[in-house]
Amino acid sequence: MSSRDLLETFKEIRHYLTLVPGVFWLVLFLFVPLAVMGIFSFWSMIEYELIPTWTFENYVAVITSRNGLYIKLLLKSLGMSVAATVVSISMAYPMAYYISRYAGKYKYLWINTIIAPYMISWVITLFGWRTILGYGGLINFLLMKLGLISEPITWLWHNWGAVIFVLAVGWAPWLVLPIFVSLEKIDESLLEAARDLGASPIQTFLTVTLPLSIPGLLLAVFFILIPTFGEFVAPRIAGGTSGAMYGMAIEDAFTRMANWPFASAMTFILLAISIVIAFVLIRRVGLETLMEAL
Amino acid sequence: MLSTKHIFKAYSYIFVILIYLPIISLLILSFNPSRMAAYPLQGFSLVWWKHFFSDPIAISAVKNSLIAASATAVLATLLGLGIALVLGRRAFRGKAALLYSMIIPISIPYIIIGGGLLLLFLKVFGIPTNIRTLIIGHTVVALPYSTLVLTARLVGFDRSLEEAAYDLGATSFTVFRKIILPLIMPGIVSSLYMTFITSLEDVTLAVFLAGPDITVPLFIYGRLRRFEGLPEAMALSSFMAILMLSLAVIYLARAARTKE
Repeated sequence: MSSRDLLETFKEIRHYLTLVPGVFWLVLFLFVPLAVMGIFSFWSMIEYELIPTWTFENYVAVITSRNGLYIKLLLKSLGMSVAATVVSISMAYPMAYYISRYAGKYKYLWINTIIAPYMISWVITLFGWRTILGYGGLINFLLMKLGLISEPITWLWHNWGAVIFVLAVGWAPWLVLPIFVSLEKIDESLLEAARDLGASPIQTFLTVTLPLSIPGLLLAVFFILIPTFGEFVAPRIAGGTSGAMYGMAIEDAFTRMANWPFASAMTFILLAISIVIAFVLIRRVGLETLMEAL
Repeated sequence: MLSTKHIFKAYSYIFVILIYLPIISLLILSFNPSRMAAYPLQGFSLVWWKHFFSDPIAISAVKNSLIAASATAVLATLLGLGIALVLGRRAFRGKAALLYSMIIPISIPYIIIGGGLLLLFLKVFGIPTNIRTLIIGHTVVALPYSTLVLTARLVGFDRSLEEAAYDLGATSFTVFRKIILPLIMPGIVSSLYMTFITSLEDVTLAVFLAGPDITVPLFIYGRLRRFEGLPEAMALSSFMAILMLSLAVIYLARAARTKE
């Protein structure tokens, strides 16, 4: 290699140097921790010491201990996050539709008004819902004031329905955005064509608008389904016993039991399922679209 | 189709009320003198706000939150800028792999990252958790946002501009300052805001990584779990919600202006 080539190569490499710190950060603080967790999930805790035994016993314990409680929790969590996804999208869709079709020059005012409260800490929003749905909450107060009930009703809070509700309402503002963007992309002439061909508004919606907004819907699913699957804060505050989720068990395993191999195995099961869900969704949505939406 | 429009409009107003209701309810109750964090209202009092402002733990939680968020914003934006300068301007082998790696933190529940980092710090490095380990965790989950928003500004960047500058004898630093920086400045502001908020609002990673340096969300979460000191936590929550809403309004108004 001549010195000139060497110089060219050096110049070329130089352009990539700015990558180094960020990639280093990702490797050391994302990939290494996940790898460590994967390795620990095959070790054992013997007398408070981590021992590299290379065993499947932690996974077996997650699946079989306490009569399969953890696996039931895992499936229930998936069910609850799917339910929250469906409810949340059903709430966000008409909102996005209204802004796209009818808001005119106030489009961005609406969008901003809706996104702003999403920027508030999740735990604060949950606290707020407690003051509305809880035992001494606003709804009970109003119903008693109106004389409709004589005792506060307790089924509004501390159960699985409350968790699904708060997750759905909490995420809905953020889901309006991708659905709105996909609705905005629909060519007006397609809607006119459908009308000219005699389609009713509902037919137009079902055959033109809805299918064309699927990319936005998939993006919305990606945004809500994955984080809610691992939730532990909402079920801890709103869930009571019936609303417990898998994330709570992971939190306890790390922060109370300090049984690292068991906690690692629990988390790795969640990781495996999340990666599969994320991968399928990203394949359907397309990496480019996902990146634009962030 | 006037009626359809009206139905949608009515629904939209209900939607907006629903998403603001929790914050409004908290704010109102924070001025209620009752020891119970509950209705009915029994008057107007600043007692819980005074309580919050004179509680050293609550104040240090605010301080910790602001320090962590500021540090995360600066770190994630700098690291993201470094990656974006390459991702946005060059094609290279392994680009897709890098892109996929970038979105991993937002493709898995945060609890997984929290647990993994906790093991790394406690069991591999043997160091205790505190605000520094929390900032590291927040930077991991904020990095995708800063990188992608900055990359978006640089895609379609005209390389000939940069090459012309080099030909005229400009140094890399001059090129960066005179050509690239003005182009990505709006992206840097967005990145700083988004990463700041990502850290400020987080409770999930804080549960695992904050150690003794509790942040505001962690303080509130603790109170909610133990059912104690809730009125004071309401004042703190209201304070924080107002801060975050104000930041959001400033940021969104600015973003809307650039869009127009």
